[in-house]
Amino acid sequence: MARINTQAEFERVAKEAAGRYWGRGLTVRVGMASCGLAAGANALYDVAAERVKGNGNGLSLSRVGCRGSCVVEPMVDVVSPDFHLTFGNVTKAGLESIIDAAQANDFSSFEDADAVWQERDAPRTDGTLYTTRRGTHAQIPDISAIPFYAPQRKIVTRNCGLIDPFDIEESLARDGYAALVKVLTENDPEGVIETVLASGLRGRGGAGFPTGRKWALTREAAGDEKYVFVNADEGDPGAFMDRSVLESDPHAVLEGLAIGAFAIGASEGIVYVRAEYPLAVQTLRNAIVQAREYGFLGENILGTSFSFDVSIRIGAGAFVCGEETALIASAEGRVGEPRPRPPYPAQSGYKGAPTVINNVKTWSAVAPIILNGAEWFAEVGTESSKGTAVFCVTGTIKNTGLVEVPMGMTLREIIYDVGGGPERAGSEIKAVQTGGPSGGCLPKDQFDLAVDYEKLTEAGSMMGSGGMIVVDDRTCMVSLAKFFLNFTMDESCGKCTPCREGTRRMHDLLEKITSGEGTEEDIAFLEELASYVKDTSLCGLGATAPNPVLSTLKYFRDEYDAHIRERRCPAGECEALISFRVVPDKCTVCGACAKVCPVNAVVEAGKAPPTIDQDACTRCRTCFEVCPSDAILIE
Amino acid sequence: MEAESPRTDSTTTGQSGSLVAGVSNKVGSVLVVGSGISGMQAALDLANGGYYVYLLDSEPAIGGLMSKLDKTFPTNDCAMCVMSPKLVDCGRHLNIELVTYADVKNIEGVPGNYNVEIVRKAKSVDEEKCTGCGDCVTGCPSRYVVRPPDEAAQYAPELTADDKDFVDRLLREEPDVEGNLLAVLQDVSEYCRFLPEHVLKYVSDATGIPLARMISIATFYDAFSLEPRGEHTISVCMGTACHVKGSGLLQSRLQDILQIGNGETTTDGKFTLQTVRCIGCCALAPAVRIDDETFGFVMVRGLEKILKRF
Ligand SMILES: Cc1cc2nc3c(=O)[nH]c(=O)nc-3n(C[C@H](O)[C@H](O)[C@H](O)COP(=O)(O)O)c2cc1C
Ligand code: FES
Repeated sequence: MARINTQAEFERVAKEAAGRYWGRGLTVRVGMASCGLAAGANALYDVAAERVKGNGNGLSLSRVGCRGSCVVEPMVDVVSPDFHLTFGNVTKAGLESIIDAAQANDFSSFEDADAVWQERDAPRTDGTLYTTRRGTHAQIPDISAIPFYAPQRKIVTRNCGLIDPFDIEESLARDGYAALVKVLTENDPEGVIETVLASGLRGRGGAGFPTGRKWALTREAAGDEKYVFVNADEGDPGAFMDRSVLESDPHAVLEGLAIGAFAIGASEGIVYVRAEYPLAVQTLRNAIVQAREYGFLGENILGTSFSFDVSIRIGAGAFVCGEETALIASAEGRVGEPRPRPPYPAQSGYKGAPTVINNVKTWSAVAPIILNGAEWFAEVGTESSKGTAVFCVTGTIKNTGLVEVPMGMTLREIIYDVGGGPERAGSEIKAVQTGGPSGGCLPKDQFDLAVDYEKLTEAGSMMGSGGMIVVDDRTCMVSLAKFFLNFTMDESCGKCTPCREGTRRMHDLLEKITSGEGTEEDIAFLEELASYVKDTSLCGLGATAPNPVLSTLKYFRDEYDAHIRERRCPAGECEALISFRVVPDKCTVCGACAKVCPVNAVVEAGKAPPTIDQDACTRCRTCFEVCPSDAILIE
Repeated sequence: MEAESPRTDSTTTGQSGSLVAGVSNKVGSVLVVGSGISGMQAALDLANGGYYVYLLDSEPAIGGLMSKLDKTFPTNDCAMCVMSPKLVDCGRHLNIELVTYADVKNIEGVPGNYNVEIVRKAKSVDEEKCTGCGDCVTGCPSRYVVRPPDEAAQYAPELTADDKDFVDRLLREEPDVEGNLLAVLQDVSEYCRFLPEHVLKYVSDATGIPLARMISIATFYDAFSLEPRGEHTISVCMGTACHVKGSGLLQSRLQDILQIGNGETTTDGKFTLQTVRCIGCCALAPAVRIDDETFGFVMVRGLEKILKRF
């Protein structure tokens, strides 16, 4: 492919790509992001490849990224100009029959499959509407009738799972790089910043600083060299939005980055990705090579005087490197320790030059804003938080996965409508944790809270980068708070004392409480320590580390009290405070528990229900999990 | 050097016998081992109380860890402001003798009456004349690796030809080793499966980047190990989603099966067990990754079956 040098050339290439993409004959798309691969997508790909090789009959095959409903992975889409059907929980045999049915265009037998739905593609910006021929598969519900998808509004993840991330042509077919071309043709960097400012886009990395303001500050800062960074060091445990976007639609991020670089006057960009995401790195490397080939990166992009290139830095497993000053230190090849701000990176960042650092999702939202205008984006969302929020809904909830919903949706809608409610029948969702180790836990009675930056912070949690972990009554909140402190204690870089020592002391206190030795004074001490750590830490890691403790103390004080006063763990999780017992009335003496017990603590008694030897029992829960008749009781 | 008990105050009144009785029969002077903030305070208290004190430290200077801290917890007091007066007092006190750059070799005797043998390392500095200006430190050509000659001999390059080729190529192809040190170390770590000291030493010699800097990076980032690793690395996710779904149980079961602790390697060198903070497959929690393969919805019961595949 030769470099694209003019707007006209670009339009021709994009049009051809769109023609090929939308007009492609019967195609099987296998979702092969990390979650798909873990669920066995590779085997499915092989099955489909075999079919294509054999009697393909015009069948073609492509690999795509993640559609978001990770819980029904592996997923397969069958697409032709006439229809677009999506299948979840696909097995190898299932795929064979899906292909058979697609070739015969007869899906009547798929009514009851685990997850099947059809999709009408959204209208494109040029006004053409691509739809499935309605009525062909009347028994299969439309995507707008699927509760998981219906309330979603995809902006950041607009192409995720719909294109082959290794093929730039598919991205071009879905408006990829159109915004960059528009910006370069209009040649008005200030105008770009104004549009971004007017759209109300705020940083999706956690703090929610207005992106347009950050760009304007950097543009105004003195210096010939300026840099743009993608923060893809998604350290927040329990969140994978950035990974998903990079693995499924890397060009969206590169395009946004190039637009940002043009707006602030930078000629070099760096993507800082964490090492735990090998596939994201691979996808991104390939995307950069292809973008260079097409002339979207490199010297004199689109024949203008704007030159810009991107390189990748790989993190090495330190959470604090997600903090912007630590990230810069790490990218410079130093130990990733944060430094006090100001000066902010906008004034003095990478190599001392003005630097813009934005999250993956922030960059990915830029191109649609440029293309569709600030008002289009600002229409979605609340007064102070515009656009959409991307969440990874995980934990003990039915539909775990990646969702993108308009800001202002309530937690209840996200958890019960999109998320489908509790995972286990009969259990109850107790709390939701947002914002990762810096955020907090919100209880049931706060579920009517509308999701936006300010409201979540007011309630004692925070937006964070998008982790949303749902917990049910089997999770002990004290132990969860301990878990987070264990995390921050581990990840504290050790540069400042309040964070290094304070988190350790707080963790010790929680350890004491969960092992049943806590006293009332411990809680007061915990609160006191929390306030010291919060006020005196050097960076955001320490300053927010007490949040999980403070929020659980605020909303789940009764659980702390139960541990301290009654020496009891209400959720049955803290090992030191629980024991297992067989309920004779429920036990069917099937022997399953005795077979799995790793320490032989289940004492069988012939035809009578077994008993559990409390001294030998290590409280590993295996018997509890295998018991088919719920006859094991945790006390 | 022999540190006998020279000075006065031999209040030898009692008899020998029980250890407790011995304590009240104190003879000679006091040796304080370790000159951190607590050691210094102890030495000062004793010295003011009339004892002659030897204040010993293995470092060339007294002060210990606190001198390296900026602030102290929880009052946020400046560390040096707290300790500087004590440093000066220790240096000037007539009852305190500083024995720095020295180690305890042997202790004999009972509480109250010890004989301690001390090895003093060569400083090659005339302490009477030295003003502590620090010029020799900044001017020393090999200041980052201070090693006695016989020990240094052990660190002669023991690179195999292959290793050497690899490192040479790596350094040749990387225009800015210093700026991309992290990436270079990642490549070395991937090639050797850990960061062997002799390879780091070689990189240090070839590039002039201090070994200390490489070690500080290697110990800061979780991805690096200074110990050899097993053939396969098992990473148990300890992210929030996995924690809620019980990954702690997976970890303890794996430790039982493999008979190793977290971060350790089996004796046959096959598996290294480690925990990671989220591998981004939270929707499939609890997740375990072995090398590049990710397993989702892992159950305690299923672990042995998974391990058999490797
Ligand atoms: C301890 C800590 C960890 C952070 N981790 C991340 C992260 O993993 N990803 C991220 O985008 N921002 C992270 N941030 C926020 C960044 O410092 C920075 O605010 C953000 O990258 C700015 O991008 P945005 O304006 O697009 O949000 C972290 C901050 C702190 C204090
Ligand atoms: S929390 Fe385990 S994969 Fe994210």
